[in-house]
This record gives sequence, C-alpha cells and structure tokens, in this order.
Amino acid sequence: MSLVNIKSIMINNLFRLLIILVCALCAFPLFWMLIVSLKSGVLILDPSVWFFTPTLENYQDAFFYRNILDYIKNSFIVVVITTFFSILIGGMAAYGFARFNFKKREDTAFWILSLRMLPPLATVIPFFVMAHLLKVLDTHIVLIICYMLFNIPFTIWMMRGFFEEIPEEIEEAAFIDGCSRFQVFIKIVLPLAIPGLIATGIFCIINSWNEFVFALFLTSSDAITLPTTVTLFLSISGVAWGEMSAVGVITVIPVLIFAMLVQKYMIRGLTFGGVK
Amino acid sequence: MIRNYLNKNPHFIYIMPAIILLGILTLIPTIFLYFISMTDYELGSPSFNFVWFDNYTRLLLESDEFWHSLRISVFFSVIVTSIQLVLGFFLAKLLDRPMRFKFLVFACLIIPIAMTPSITGQIWKLMLNAEYGVINYLLSSLTGLKVIWLSTENAFLSTMLVDIWQNTPFVALIIYAGLKSLPEDPYEAAVMDGASKFQLFRHITLPLLKPIILLAIIFRLIDSLRTFDIPFSLTQGGPGNATEFLSLHIYRLGFAQTGWIGRASATSVILLIITTVISLILIRMLRKGVQDTE
Repeated sequence: MSLVNIKSIMINNLFRLLIILVCALCAFPLFWMLIVSLKSGVLILDPSVWFFTPTLENYQDAFFYRNILDYIKNSFIVVVITTFFSILIGGMAAYGFARFNFKKREDTAFWILSLRMLPPLATVIPFFVMAHLLKVLDTHIVLIICYMLFNIPFTIWMMRGFFEEIPEEIEEAAFIDGCSRFQVFIKIVLPLAIPGLIATGIFCIINSWNEFVFALFLTSSDAITLPTTVTLFLSISGVAWGEMSAVGVITVIPVLIFAMLVQKYMIRGLTFGGVK
Repeated sequence: MIRNYLNKNPHFIYIMPAIILLGILTLIPTIFLYFISMTDYELGSPSFNFVWFDNYTRLLLESDEFWHSLRISVFFSVIVTSIQLVLGFFLAKLLDRPMRFKFLVFACLIIPIAMTPSITGQIWKLMLNAEYGVINYLLSSLTGLKVIWLSTENAFLSTMLVDIWQNTPFVALIIYAGLKSLPEDPYEAAVMDGASKFQLFRHITLPLLKPIILLAIIFRLIDSLRTFDIPFSLTQGGPGNATEFLSLHIYRLGFAQTGWIGRASATSVILLIITTVISLILIRMLRKGVQDTE
C-alpha cells in the first residue's frame, strides 16, 4: 500500500516538474529579452552575467534615436480604427448569421472562414501595386483597410457564437412588447453580448498590433508600425542588441497584457470560435 | 421592390455591409494579382508588357529556386505540424490534471502564442547567436558543446525549433479543450469490459477528438505553409536559400533584390492555389465531421 503511495507521489511530482519546465521554456525568451534590454554596453555580449545593475539606457536610446514614439502612435491609430470598424461591421453580420436562416448561410460562413487562410504574401502584392497607383502607400488608411480583411471574418465567427449563446426567448419576449428586430438587436442583444464584444475586440487588437507583412510592404515612414522595427536591426547583428530588445519589450508588453485579459476566451479566439 | 425583398430577407441588412466589403477586398485584389502575374511589371518601371504565361512556365520549368522553396515549405509544414500534434497532445494530457496555479501555467503557455511573431524571430536570433547567444552558453556549460544554430546546415532546423516553440502551446490548448469536453460514460463502459489504456485511447479518445484534431491541423498546416514573419526576422531566408520558404521567395523576387513583381505574383498565385486547395479539403472534412456528429 505505502509502496503504491510513494509511486503515485513520485509520478505526481514528476508531472509537476515537467509542467514547470514547460512553463520556463515558454517564458524564457521573454525573460531573456527583458534581461538584455536592461543590460548596458559590453554586458550585452556576455550571456554568463545574470545579475547586474539594470539600466534604462536602451529604452532611452530607443525613444531618442529610433523614434519609437512615432511607431507606437501609428500602431495605436491603426489598431483602434480597425478594431472599431471590424466590430461594427462584423458584429452586425454575426448577428445576421446567428439569428436568421437563409439560403447558402453555411456556405457563406465558410467562405468567410476561408479568408482566414489567405496567404498574406499573396494578397499584399496586388494591394501594394494598387496603393502605389492610387498614391496611398504609407498611409494609415491602407493598413486599416487591409487589417479589416482578417478582422471582420474573425469578428463574424467569434460573435456568431456569442450571439447564439443568448437565449432566443429573451428576444421573443421583446418582440411581443412591440420592439422591431433592430431595436431588439441594439437594446437587448448587444448589452448581453458585451463580454463577447470586449473579448473579440481585444483579439482584433492583438491581431492587428502583431501584423507584420502588410505593415512591412505598405508602409515606409509615415505610417510604419511597431512590428516593422525588426528591419532596423537586420543588418547590425552584434551592436544594437540592447536597443533591439528594448524595442521588442515595448512592442510585446501591451499584447501580452491584453492576452492575459482574455485568457478565459483564449482557445475560442485562437480557433475562430471553433472550440468553446 | 427593394422594400419587398428586404422584408422577405431580413438578414440582408445585417450581413450585406460585411459581405460587400469582404467581396471587394478579396475579389479585386485577386483579379489584379492574376493580371499582374501575366505581365513583366517591375518595381519602379513606368510601363509593362503582357507576357501571358511566361512567368509561370519559367517558374515551373526553369526555376530550381522555386522548386526548392516549394519543397522546403511543404516539408516544413508537414514535419512541424506532426511534431506539434504529438507534443501538444502530451502537453494537453499533462494539463488535464488537478493542479494549483493553473492560471499561471496557462499564462506562460500564452506567451509564445501572443508574442509579436516578428519580434519572436528577432529574440530567437539573439538567443541562438553562436558566440554571444544564451543558448550556446547554457549548452556549453552543461555539455561543453557549441552549435552554430543559424549555419547553412542548421538554420532550417532552428526555424523548425522556433515554430515548435511558438505553436505547440497553441495545439496543446486546443486539444486540452477537447479533452475537457469528453464524456465519461464510454470510458466507464469500456473499462468494465476490460479495455486497456491504449485501447481506450485508440478507440474512444481519438475518434471523439477527431474534429478538434482536424481543426488544429487546419490552422497549423496553413499557417506554417504561409509562414513569413519568423523566418524573415530570424534568417531572412538564409544562409543562401536554406530557409527560403515560398513566402520569402516571393519577397526576394518581388521586393528585396530584383523587383520582379510579375514573377513574384506568379509565385503568389501558386501559393494561393496550394493553400486554397488544402484549406478547402480540410474545411470540407471538418464540416462533414460536424454534420455526422449532429
């Protein structure tokens, strides 16, 4: 009996150890980026130093010499406007898919899902040439439009699930009271769907904030966003590691905070609402 | 008349803005892409000529580089997806146990998924650096070995490693959600009948998890096939063309060195066709599976 007990305790501890190891592996690159961003000068090139007096030099350099504030501003503008319109347009469509039965409904929904599979490198070329011809390259509006291409499908699939979870009886009661369909949508369904709307909005924010391909090709200086800062550090390999990490930390921290906020909905968001 | 139509189709008002916008945003660029792929348009040149299918024949018949990219892209996505499925399954099993601080564990698992991919590639480039990288430091203090991670021989493996780091938690979370939703009855019945653990897994868990696993495969296969951000910031397709996946090949043809937009477009069309065909097949399988269980 006690032997069995010892064995099960050992197995339990082994599993616990494995979990801790996995967590450490997942978090380590972030941790290391933070460490490097706080190191100064020669210390950066010495990975054996783990304890040192932290400095904010790298962050200062990032703000003064790399104009990081401009990148942050552009990212912010693009993300906020895309998210707003995606939620508005996608949310309406999601309600249409959730509550009405119409011909070809599922075919249309899966066509929308298939847009998620478009390779960005294939879509960016025509967008680039068209934007070039229309002289709108390197503007916020181009990025905003392109980001809607993946945020609207996402919103439709996510919000459809949230709307379907609201019991139809509530709406029917309001119909009996003489409300029109649209009034019901605005006054009753939307308030009930607020947690879903917030979660979906946060995922739109994360996706747009992290987007790289469109930002790389369609912007060059005026509308350039944070992920494209990697191009600043492609050629200089050894020298600017500190600044590079500082910029990385600045880019990643907001996303991670948002991701933690929607932890509960993470699986749902990652699978386009496919797994609840 | 319009009023009549709207009364009969009340969904129209709700879905039309999205459908029209998405239709315009996909149809026009796609037609435009096919159009450019049949020209010899170059970056910065004022005029272009129609060359019809020259770009395609050149690509398919004469370009070793294209076939190399296609080969490594397909190889990369198949291998990476399979490894992530296996590791993800074990990780999901590990998570599906009572434990304290579960939210902290999940917080850690979310880091690789949520981190900006281009930055992820960059930080791994820093960590994998042969001389000043922390990984070689840890490796050499443990084993005395030093590996040149981003050399011609190893760069492909390193890219796979980073992708596995980034996406195994993603697969694990999906499968974990699947495990959570499994009913208990079939297991109890099977245990009564004396089924072994492997039989339980083979005949109950796997069939029940099939739609979930299919979903994970769809996302992973497509996403790894069109991967760009991480290889771009990690290796830029190099050294040589050791990690020049299809997307990076398009980038190099169209933007980086030559500016041959026409030829890059032809390559894009092929990438587009491959991903569309694969996603259509997988989505059809998924829809069929969903209908069967309903």
